[in-house]
Amino acid sequence: MKTWQCLTCGFIYDEALGLPQEGIAPGTRWEDVPAGWRCPDCGAGKADFEMVEL
Amino acid sequence: MALSNRIADFDDAAFDPFATFESATQSHSGEDPYRRLAEMRRQGSVFELDYRELLGSPPDLTMAGLPKYMVLGAADIQHVLETPQLFSNTIFERNVGLCFGRSLTVMDAPEHTRYRRLFQKAFMPNVVAKWGDTLVDPVVHGLIENFRAKGRADLVREFTQHYPFQIIYRQLDLPQDDIAVFHKLAVGLTCIVVDVAHGVEASQKLGAYYALLLEERRNGGGSDLVSTLAQAEIDGERLPDEVLVSFLRQLINAAGDTTYRATSSLLVGLLSNPEQLDAVRRDRALIPAAIEEALRWEPPVTVCPRLTMQPVVLDGVEIPAGAEIDAMTGAYNRDPGRYDEPDRFDIGRRPQRHMGFAYGQHVCIGQHLARVEMTRALNALLDHLPNLRLDPDHPPPQVLGVNMRVPPAVHVRFDT
Ligand code: HEM
Ligand SMILES: [Zn+2]
Repeated sequence: MKTWQCLTCGFIYDEALGLPQEGIAPGTRWEDVPAGWRCPDCGAGKADFEMVEL
Repeated sequence: MALSNRIADFDDAAFDPFATFESATQSHSGEDPYRRLAEMRRQGSVFELDYRELLGSPPDLTMAGLPKYMVLGAADIQHVLETPQLFSNTIFERNVGLCFGRSLTVMDAPEHTRYRRLFQKAFMPNVVAKWGDTLVDPVVHGLIENFRAKGRADLVREFTQHYPFQIIYRQLDLPQDDIAVFHKLAVGLTCIVVDVAHGVEASQKLGAYYALLLEERRNGGGSDLVSTLAQAEIDGERLPDEVLVSFLRQLINAAGDTTYRATSSLLVGLLSNPEQLDAVRRDRALIPAAIEEALRWEPPVTVCPRLTMQPVVLDGVEIPAGAEIDAMTGAYNRDPGRYDEPDRFDIGRRPQRHMGFAYGQHVCIGQHLARVEMTRALNALLDHLPNLRLDPDHPPPQVLGVNMRVPPAVHVRFDT
């Protein structure tokens, strides 16, 4: 499982946790997050995220 | 020559920016703004009104003459903040543009996005986590040492009012002798909405000081924030001095004033609800939930203003281009459609988005740092002040203010 970080606001998407509040189940891989999904804090698109090691 | 000889105070050294700024944020009527906002929200979402006039704070002189609209409904607030093409941050050119300069706050995309990424890099979660040990802990422990033997304190006057600012001075590695005037000028900047002349004077003097600091640090290879940003590159180019100085000018207000307010209100929430305070004292894993609930319940910043770039219709109300739109983010946080019993402080709520750090492209760049600071501050207070509780000799603390909120005092007792 990997973590991805928004470059404009620092929001972290953790594949293991998903985003149940937004209907994305724990364990959802980044590539399976819908293409039109936006950062819940700043509204940036998926392309504005980068993989990070925590 | 020491830098301390180069920072200039206001020409009128008797000018008190602290009192002037506080008066600009307060309500003369003393009325609870949330009660009024809740009544209005039952009538509709969008109103052609100046919230300052409605809630009894002095008019913003820099916005004189603009048509003004308040937005209270949660969906409309979200729409305003996520649609910057229609609702622009250039409204801030009129006030903070004069005192901070070309900071992120006055910019729209694509210029904003480009600079934002660079500044955000310096405040990413993994970067700020390291500051917890090196910057935050020494400051909070030092302040608590000053009063822990007394058994009582006003945590605002003796703690929260100081700690975020002292952290910034360490981040900037400011010479000790410069700090008093530096802080006075920085607070003077924010007086711009009620006292344009002093705001501009503070801007020029702080700008001149930062220019010297930059010159000194640009090639020094230091690791303080000024050196780091001065050496940062964007697309192979250095940041323009103007953008860098403007960011630094904004920092005291954006990072210090907000964190002081947020931490003070967090303490009010916990101390006024002793069973929740006990739960946190016993189980520190509850601290993040307590911080998020405090930022929901009493966000220090309750309004995000924007400027309409073309005529728009919002909730059926026709709004002309060039109008001030005040997204009432504080009201969003108390919306009963989103939160049960929204006026209650309750750290056990289901986690849900709040707008304490706003939302959208301009969402707070320092939110990760603010959480580190507040976590360390609360842990230190609970560790060093056994049986921390409200002081029964004082009236219960109250959070006050219109667009910026804070309790004027939090009197406590503790065992020594
Ligand atoms: C609990 C403490 C804090 C609160 C409640 C807070 C709140 C906010 C809010 C509401 C905004 C958006 C304003 C708008 O869009 O109209 C904002 C933006 C900003 N904040 Fe914070 N803030 C806090 C701490 C900090 C810290 C520690 C920093 C230090 C770097 C910081 C730096 C900034 C900057 C630079 C912006 C402008 C971002 C942009 O326009 O892109 N803040 N903050
Ligand atoms: Zn983001």
